Amino acid sequence: MHHPGRYRTPLLLILTLLLVFTVLSLSLKSSPALRKVQGLVVSMTAPGLEGLEYVGRSAKQLWMGYFYLIGVRRQNAELQRQLEEYKQREVNFREAEQALTRLETLLDLKRQVALPVIGARVIAYDPTLWSRAAIINQGKAQGVKEGLPVLAPQGIVGRIVGIYPEYSKVMLIVDRKSSADAMVQRTRIRGMLKGKGGNRCSLEFVPKSADVQVGDLVLASGLVGLYPKGLVFGKVTAANKKNPGVFQEIEVSPNVDLSTLEEVLVVKVATLAFPEP
Amino acid sequence: MIAPLIAFSLVGLIIFYVQNLVFFPYVHLRLLALLLFYVGLRPSLALTLALGLVLGCLQDSYATTPFGIHLGASLVLVAMARYFRRRLLLQQLGFQALASLVALVLQEVYLQLVTFMLNYQPLFPHDLTTVHAMEILGTAALGPLMHLLVQGVQDSLRRLGWRPRSDPMPYQPFGE
Repeated sequence: MHHPGRYRTPLLLILTLLLVFTVLSLSLKSSPALRKVQGLVVSMTAPGLEGLEYVGRSAKQLWMGYFYLIGVRRQNAELQRQLEEYKQREVNFREAEQALTRLETLLDLKRQVALPVIGARVIAYDPTLWSRAAIINQGKAQGVKEGLPVLAPQGIVGRIVGIYPEYSKVMLIVDRKSSADAMVQRTRIRGMLKGKGGNRCSLEFVPKSADVQVGDLVLASGLVGLYPKGLVFGKVTAANKKNPGVFQEIEVSPNVDLSTLEEVLVVKVATLAFPEP
Repeated sequence: MIAPLIAFSLVGLIIFYVQNLVFFPYVHLRLLALLLFYVGLRPSLALTLALGLVLGCLQDSYATTPFGIHLGASLVLVAMARYFRRRLLLQQLGFQALASLVALVLQEVYLQLVTFMLNYQPLFPHDLTTVHAMEILGTAALGPLMHLLVQGVQDSLRRLGWRPRSDPMPYQPFGE
């Protein structure tokens, strides 16, 4: 006589295995149902992260604005002395500051006219090392679409790969699935900028005859249509021509610190339709 | 099973929040994997599998890797936890930590193989291998703390009236 619970464990295991493999195969086919599941999970969990991040920020502001001031009294006397010294320089700085403000305003205006953007706050990251992604607090409701580029003041951050009602998922340029057409600013040599995981990218398919040096700026070429032309990806940190093959090994470090992002801009430009890898 | 599943899922969510808001990007630890392993050493297989699905789903939703990668990795951990539980009857914290180290290494091998087969990354990329190794060692070293956390959650649930199936029935005198 069989015990009724005898097949419970193998049945559970088989069902779970089936579920995992079904999910994985559906995922590879970019199933809309799975995207909905992802959206549901993010929509349910991200508000908590957003709230905690807000509480942390408020606590930090409170600390900096009140408790931290206790130590300020001691510094005050020292600062008074320094103030007299700096007053001498103030006139020159003010002149320079006014010029800078004017130029910044012009630059901002130029950017606003050239590229319509949506401001967003980064509220979460994928904390594992298996992918480099961030969640921002702007989604479908705010007009974010898949494929739109995401920028920080220092350069390109990545592009939108998932949109949910109030949130979006950004694939950072260092993610291993990320690739974009890029060029070296100094020599206009083009290549494919690919994410290498961690915090690095590589510029690939650049012939050994091309002149690429450490410190060269790598920009978006604008050719494939993913990122607006001329925006900065990063700097060349290593260029190796001694490797086998016809192409150089070029390592690029992003201009933006992709692990400590706070505010970003989603650029509302027309993007080419591209299939998900 | 529902009460402990909700409780351990909430613990997992809190760990995920802490990882995101406090540890990232300076400290990389697989605390969710460790939580799943230590829950896997407890009697209920159904609870462990359900928790594996919840935590795998959570991690997959925030990643750019294909949905299901972390679900599968959770399953590897559950399998390892059940194997160690049945064959080695782990009682001491040191052995549990060693077992979690083995499980995490096998999970890493699984993830490397699957991401390689899906053409996501080369097999064992040399640039990140050291980071992954440190991550696994650091995580396994936190095993005793995770044991205490899981034990604490279970004790709290018991105080609230929950009793696992494996516990003996409380004595009830006849004729009352």
